[in-house]
Amino acid sequence: MSGVTGGEDKEHRNGEENMAAWLLGIKTLKIQPYHLPALGPHDVKVQIKALGICGSDVHHFKTMRCANFIVKKPMVIGHECAGIIDEVGSHVKSLAVGDRVALEPGISCRQCDLCKNGRYNLCREMKFFGSPPNNGSLANKVVHPAYLCFKLPDNVSLEEGAMCEPLSVGIHACRRANISPETSVLIMGAGPIGLVTLLAARAFGAPRVIIADVDDCRLSIAKNLGADEIIQVSTNIQDVGEEVVKIQNAMGSGIDVSFDCVGFDKTMSTALNATRSGGKVCLIGLAKSEMTAPLTPAAAREVDVIGIFRYRNTWPLCIEFLKTGKIDVKPLITHRFGFSQQEVEDAFETSARGVLWPEYPIACH
Amino acid sequence: MGKEGMSQGGAEEIRDGEEENMAAWLLGINSLKIQPFKLPPLGPHDVRVRMKAVGICGSDVHYLKTMRCADFIVKEPMVIGHECAGIIEEVGSEVKTLLPGDRVALEPGISCWRCNLCKEGRYNLCPEMKFFATPPVHGSLANQVVHPSDLCFKLPDNVSLEEGAMCEPLSVGVHACRRANVGPETNVLVMGAGPIGLVTMLAARAFGAPRIVVVDVDDHRLSVAKELGADGIAKVSTNIQDVAEEVVQIHKAMGARVDVSFDCAGFNKTMSTALNATFPGGKVCLVGMGHSEMTVPLTPAAAREVDVIGIFRYKNTWPLCLEFIRSGKIDVKPLITHRFGFSQKEVEEAFETSARGGNAIKVMFNL
Repeated sequence: MSGVTGGEDKEHRNGEENMAAWLLGIKTLKIQPYHLPALGPHDVKVQIKALGICGSDVHHFKTMRCANFIVKKPMVIGHECAGIIDEVGSHVKSLAVGDRVALEPGISCRQCDLCKNGRYNLCREMKFFGSPPNNGSLANKVVHPAYLCFKLPDNVSLEEGAMCEPLSVGIHACRRANISPETSVLIMGAGPIGLVTLLAARAFGAPRVIIADVDDCRLSIAKNLGADEIIQVSTNIQDVGEEVVKIQNAMGSGIDVSFDCVGFDKTMSTALNATRSGGKVCLIGLAKSEMTAPLTPAAAREVDVIGIFRYRNTWPLCIEFLKTGKIDVKPLITHRFGFSQQEVEDAFETSARGVLWPEYPIACH
Repeated sequence: MGKEGMSQGGAEEIRDGEEENMAAWLLGINSLKIQPFKLPPLGPHDVRVRMKAVGICGSDVHYLKTMRCADFIVKEPMVIGHECAGIIEEVGSEVKTLLPGDRVALEPGISCWRCNLCKEGRYNLCPEMKFFATPPVHGSLANQVVHPSDLCFKLPDNVSLEEGAMCEPLSVGVHACRRANVGPETNVLVMGAGPIGLVTMLAARAFGAPRIVVVDVDDHRLSVAKELGADGIAKVSTNIQDVAEEVVQIHKAMGARVDVSFDCAGFNKTMSTALNATFPGGKVCLVGMGHSEMTVPLTPAAAREVDVIGIFRYKNTWPLCLEFIRSGKIDVKPLITHRFGFSQKEVEEAFETSARGGNAIKVMFNL
């Protein structure tokens, strides 16, 4: 994906220059021209219609970095998106102009061992929308490989298409943790990731799903979305023992799988202690670098810790869940904005406030 | 069928002028005494086994030194020892598969066979587990014990009683390799070249691991690992600052990616090293139980989908261990470095030797 400084040709078609939201520095977003690369034979050009803001976008916005990824030069932000096909490359057979598609952000190399073994989300050459140095997709149009664009059924909206990206994290986690009609589930954290994990766990048939958070508001949203029980917890590490008891009582039976959608010492410690012997704890939330947790007692009960990084091969399943209504993501979309300088700034401010507000904003065109 | 003790009465094991059954009792910190051990009556599915070989485990030493191990506390005198093999003396009325005279290796733990975990086959996690020398259950460093016949495994002719006793520690390695899916495609890193690290290495080899690197702080242990077949060895420090450098060293020694790491020590440093050294999508098996709370780079590992697999003892490992030993795929004999007889003095010396570490790997009693 080219940037402002790279030249490439002809998006100056119909007199319209392609514009995108560029991250120029800390808390500095500017809508500026975005030159697209030439359309390769296996690419499509997509007019972006719906794009959601992710916590990682906000993190890049606030700090110009996310874990080991550092924004060293201007970068287009955004990666949770869906749109309408504008043009298809010469070898593209499965998609046509006018098709409504959801985009899977990451282009893996497809040649390394990890890719060839299907674990392409771990590809070390991954080029991912909005993960420096790769430009994102909060733009009028992007060019993307056709095999990463998934056609939306008639009854699935473009906004729902954009929601496939965060939902994919929940789906991937439920797969790795083997969620089924026999696995009771605990979710730590009722933020967007906790909520998509809740929806995914339900769709995978989990018979009982309980969710814990520090925030009342988030908990009531979780209840409305179908959590069997909600538990309010504190940020005080001393409370782990007591909260584990509360959580186990709320479940009523052994907890088979816990998802830590936050990733702090406390949430991990709680999850490890609350999960039954032989169960699994899935670490999704990537908050801290080093963690202090009661790993040994958990290991001595064969409670395994499963790591989650993004997703793989999840779009078809997400789309199917949305099409059949097994999952309804629409309640998660709480705020909408248009694509103008002012609205982009407002949208990011709103999303950044997320700690206090149980919201999940989406910017629409 | 519990194992009775000194204070309770039980059926007479003094019959036909036979000797009184004696055992090594843990009476207090650093206090072991050979005293009578009354056996319970033989149930229909039990066998009575004359002990011939009993090994000392790190946990036995830990009980001797502290009268506890994790949450298990020795509150009253307890017979020590659990790694054992012997000869069948008597079989219960319903026992069809074993006969007096059979040489058998014993799997120590009696699970309930009724709870969900047992029914699923994960009986090692049974909350009602009665395990030799885990209080309050008596161990097997004794002349004889009574044990369920289904936990006694007949030794092939070419497998000695000592090798039979070695099935117990070897089982930990075998169970770990199974849970971690070690195979012909998994390069293996073993943190710690103590007895558990060594049996894990032997098991990994038997499972087909193409390359195995072992690390330790101790030169001598590393040379033993090399002799036992490690492809690469690396000396590491106890200084947590050295993790990054040691990960580089390990990758050099491996010459390839690390697919599975076994932390057979269980400290922050060994776990941190293992997590950082393992390739994306790989596994770190936590076998060693060093500290309760650990401070480790869990998140970066999780963000590379490096999973942490827990190991508690073993399940359904004896048949495989015996097959490995029978076929020669695994040779445990080099691990037996010291031998003692069953007398008060020798029991004390044996435990002292095991506790000292040094060049002692497995200390074995011959009864």
